[in-house]
Amino acid sequence: MSLITEKRNLIDEFHTAFKQRGLNNSPARRKTMDTFLSQGLPDSRNEEYRFTPITRVLEKITGLTDAPSIHQPVLPGSYNLIPGLASNVIVFVNGVYSPEQSVVLDKELTVNIQDVGSSTTECDPFDSLNHAFAKELLHLSVKPSTSIQHPVAIVYYFDSSSAIFATPRWQFEIGKNSNLTLLEYSMGSATVQYFNNKQSEIRVGENAQLEYTLLQNGPKSKIELNNTHLYLSATSRVACFTFSFDGQLVRNNLTLTLDGQGIDAHLYGLYLVTGKTVLDNHTVVDHRSPNSYSNQLYKGVMDEYGKGIFNGKIFVRPNAQKTNAFQSNRNILIGDSATVNTKPQLEIWADDVKCSHGCTTGQLDEEALFYLRSRGISKELARAMLLEAFAGETLLTMKNQSIRNYVETLIVTKLHQSQ
Amino acid sequence: MDMLSIRNLEATIQDKQILNGINLEVRAGEVHAIMGPNGSGKSTLASVLSGREEYVVTGGEVEFMGKNLLEMSPEVRAREGIFMAFQYPVEIPGVSTINFMKTAINKIREYRGLPVLDAVAFLKVMKEKMKLVEIDQSLLNRSLNEGFSGGEKKRNEIFQMAMLEPKLAILDETDSGLDIDALRIVANGVNKLRAKDNAVILVTHYQRLLEYIVPDFVHVLYKGRIVKSGTKELAMELEAKGYDWIKNEVALA
Repeated sequence: MSLITEKRNLIDEFHTAFKQRGLNNSPARRKTMDTFLSQGLPDSRNEEYRFTPITRVLEKITGLTDAPSIHQPVLPGSYNLIPGLASNVIVFVNGVYSPEQSVVLDKELTVNIQDVGSSTTECDPFDSLNHAFAKELLHLSVKPSTSIQHPVAIVYYFDSSSAIFATPRWQFEIGKNSNLTLLEYSMGSATVQYFNNKQSEIRVGENAQLEYTLLQNGPKSKIELNNTHLYLSATSRVACFTFSFDGQLVRNNLTLTLDGQGIDAHLYGLYLVTGKTVLDNHTVVDHRSPNSYSNQLYKGVMDEYGKGIFNGKIFVRPNAQKTNAFQSNRNILIGDSATVNTKPQLEIWADDVKCSHGCTTGQLDEEALFYLRSRGISKELARAMLLEAFAGETLLTMKNQSIRNYVETLIVTKLHQSQ
Repeated sequence: MDMLSIRNLEATIQDKQILNGINLEVRAGEVHAIMGPNGSGKSTLASVLSGREEYVVTGGEVEFMGKNLLEMSPEVRAREGIFMAFQYPVEIPGVSTINFMKTAINKIREYRGLPVLDAVAFLKVMKEKMKLVEIDQSLLNRSLNEGFSGGEKKRNEIFQMAMLEPKLAILDETDSGLDIDALRIVANGVNKLRAKDNAVILVTHYQRLLEYIVPDFVHVLYKGRIVKSGTKELAMELEAKGYDWIKNEVALA
């Protein structure tokens, strides 16, 4: 027995699993796999993953690339997370779309399964990895000029005794003049160990409206990588909310491409990071046409050994004149061992634009804390009140009241727990 | 029995000695004015009494209603019945004044073994007190002090005082930055709240406030010590002669 343990080569493991699962029979997949092999898994030398030790975290998972377990997962009675909110529920069980578990309430919502198709131009290695392994592409759509009555919830349900490597992949097409509330979250047994490497694409038609909420509360041990790309057409109005409260490591790559005039795009994010969680939000807002507006507000509270990361890119292309693009990232560090890395990146090629960015990192305002205490409110409660007020700003504009109330309750619970 | 009894109180901030042995007795029903030139330690005294942690008490004792005040956290002092009206009330975005007051009043009531007020009972009390201190509800619907004018902030302090019904109110330079109308409204509020079972300490630089809230005793603080005590006539004398003669007296003594 050697005392020197060999460093695990996860890339090889993925490659072997790829072949074992017979995925190399498809030339398109082979091409994508080759792309992944040339990209490799990112380490700290990769600028995009400098602060995010995802590869190291993945290397610690035993059996990550093993064949999917044949055990039947124990399924829950309901996938509805939010009380009183009837939704169309699209369920992925252990990473694979399950038509049996899904419930479509509105006939205007079309769901069909498509082939993953040939490789596009992935630049993120996890995007390539998803593409190489994804069983299929789930295609959802809402026809033009349709308002579907219920929100659509995309649910990832996990239950397994062994580790799961999941690669769900979906696309949502929202027709011209349509209106949609979209919700995405994970569920599962508390101890389930999984890496959800998700890729999704949302195409928002002309003059359509979308309120999209990604809720990351679920199982503590999860590792999530979200590649989400939204393509916005002219005069569409989009609000994206990302609430991240739990997990071992969570990385969100949220990209908005604004290709049309008169677009109104809002991005809100809130990350409450405790324990040893690593929570990373990378946003890209790409203005490709004139006269559009984007606004980002990301806020974080880091406690204990929590680590928060925010990186916000804004591109304003040469012809995107009269663009208004704003970005703000505000952080509060509570624990002495908590950290945050924040980086705005603006690349502006047009000359007649209004752009601004700002980031702050600080502690709770001692003066405000004393003020509340001087009125008889305990230190713990005063802290929670101030943090709630800080966090609450990220959901002020949310239109769906049920989702908003639910998230509000989660925030309160989370902030009182960490006291 | 004295409500508040301060004996030889000494305090420092960042190793700088500010209070050099304060002695003061306050009984229920009394109004005491603490005056003095800038930097004499007036606000430090108010801060130490309300429990600001950046001040370190290095000597002496303070008893409030027979209990050792200096051992209590700021919130416990408030629940025991101490209220400080801040010189510079903080703006707290996202915390509504009404929710804040409801939380505060109920925490104090819980501590005193009283049933908590439900929303209806709370609103009833609030309406009463709003009238008393002439404050508009639109102000209270907003985030705490956010975007309030100087006068509105001070009025909000007195509103909170009315709501919390303290035994001892410490008004730290409540008159600073107020125009004459705002000063009158604030003073009226305080006067209406005066009763034989509560007491007020007014910390002020000018005699102006004392024309509206007439004190029973006036103390002059200088170099961290009370160097002269008297009645309201002393305040008038200070107004006429300034603080220099006090400084000279101290220098000669």
